[in-house]
Amino acid sequence: MKTHFSEADLLETYYMQPGESMPVMMHLASCEMCAARYDALERKLRESAACSSHEKPETFWTRQRLMIQRRIDNGRERTTQRGHALRVAAAAVLAFFLGSVFTLKTTEPKQETSVAASSKHAPVAQQAPAAADELQQSHDPWQSDQLSDFHSVVEWESWVDEGKKL
Amino acid sequence: MQDAPSDRDLIIRTLGGDGAAYGLIVERFQRKIYRVAYAIVRDEVEADTITQDTFVQAYTHLAKFQGRSEFETWLTRIAINRSRDLLRRRKFFSLFTRNTDDDSEEIAFDPVDERPDPERETMSVQLRGAITRAESGLSAQQKLIFRLRHYENLSLEEIADHLGLRAGTVRAHLFRAVHKVRKELAGWRNQRGQGSDDENTL
Repeated sequence: MKTHFSEADLLETYYMQPGESMPVMMHLASCEMCAARYDALERKLRESAACSSHEKPETFWTRQRLMIQRRIDNGRERTTQRGHALRVAAAAVLAFFLGSVFTLKTTEPKQETSVAASSKHAPVAQQAPAAADELQQSHDPWQSDQLSDFHSVVEWESWVDEGKKL
Repeated sequence: MQDAPSDRDLIIRTLGGDGAAYGLIVERFQRKIYRVAYAIVRDEVEADTITQDTFVQAYTHLAKFQGRSEFETWLTRIAINRSRDLLRRRKFFSLFTRNTDDDSEEIAFDPVDERPDPERETMSVQLRGAITRAESGLSAQQKLIFRLRHYENLSLEEIADHLGLRAGTVRAHLFRAVHKVRKELAGWRNQRGQGSDDENTL
């Protein structure tokens, strides 16, 4: 006697891929009643699953494409702006760095130049003691012209015997 | 007449800066992506948003597409992941609302075909409602797999490929999902069977 499949079995066959349920499919091939039931089941399930996207007008898809395009453009613009901002920030950092370096360079050379200058003017510095002596001599109050009148006294005083002094 | 450019050609052109090429890609796949998203989230507005998100994300990461799979598969994966994220968010927000059903919806009476058969349309809507109720008892993974199979008519292998699962795992999930749906539909059939001939119903 032929065993017919229940709708529940057919439901599983429908969802689990009909081609893979060989016993059921073989039975459906030979049993008109079960085949009709399966067809009805399939039709109802397919109808119930029908998605309204098929009925969407062309304007819906065009609008969707435009929205996608706009979002991509906005994203690209944002990326460009972000890139620009990054470039500006990088330029600012670079400028700050270069400024710092320049500032350092300008302060360091002063010291170097002072050293260099001192080394460059070394002969002058070496000559300086002589000039200083001259100055010193010229500024020696005992040698000044104003005291020249007293030179004899000074000489006299210096002429005094050492023993008498004491 | 010139053949339509291949996906690969369009991708190369897009990466080369040809914006119109990506427009062609969108035009080629937007219906499919929308259908997949709708099949999972069951909401037209959200499916639209997910479709847009998918193409924007794909554009952003287009250079990373290595061509190991079909471009369509890659896009579908993105759409499925986005749809899953949305389902998770819905589930999370449903914790703070009275509604325990994460994505229950009023079944709107929109005819599925043009044929003037009110009884058939009514039944189709009722069946859809029964399936939706049945889905509410499924786990997230079962629901996702069931929806891709039921609404998008994807094969088990395709679902496995999109979700990064083995076909056997998908089969097991689907089997459990169908059993739960079957129970719900049996209840619905019994209700209907009280007033009508069983043979004419599910």
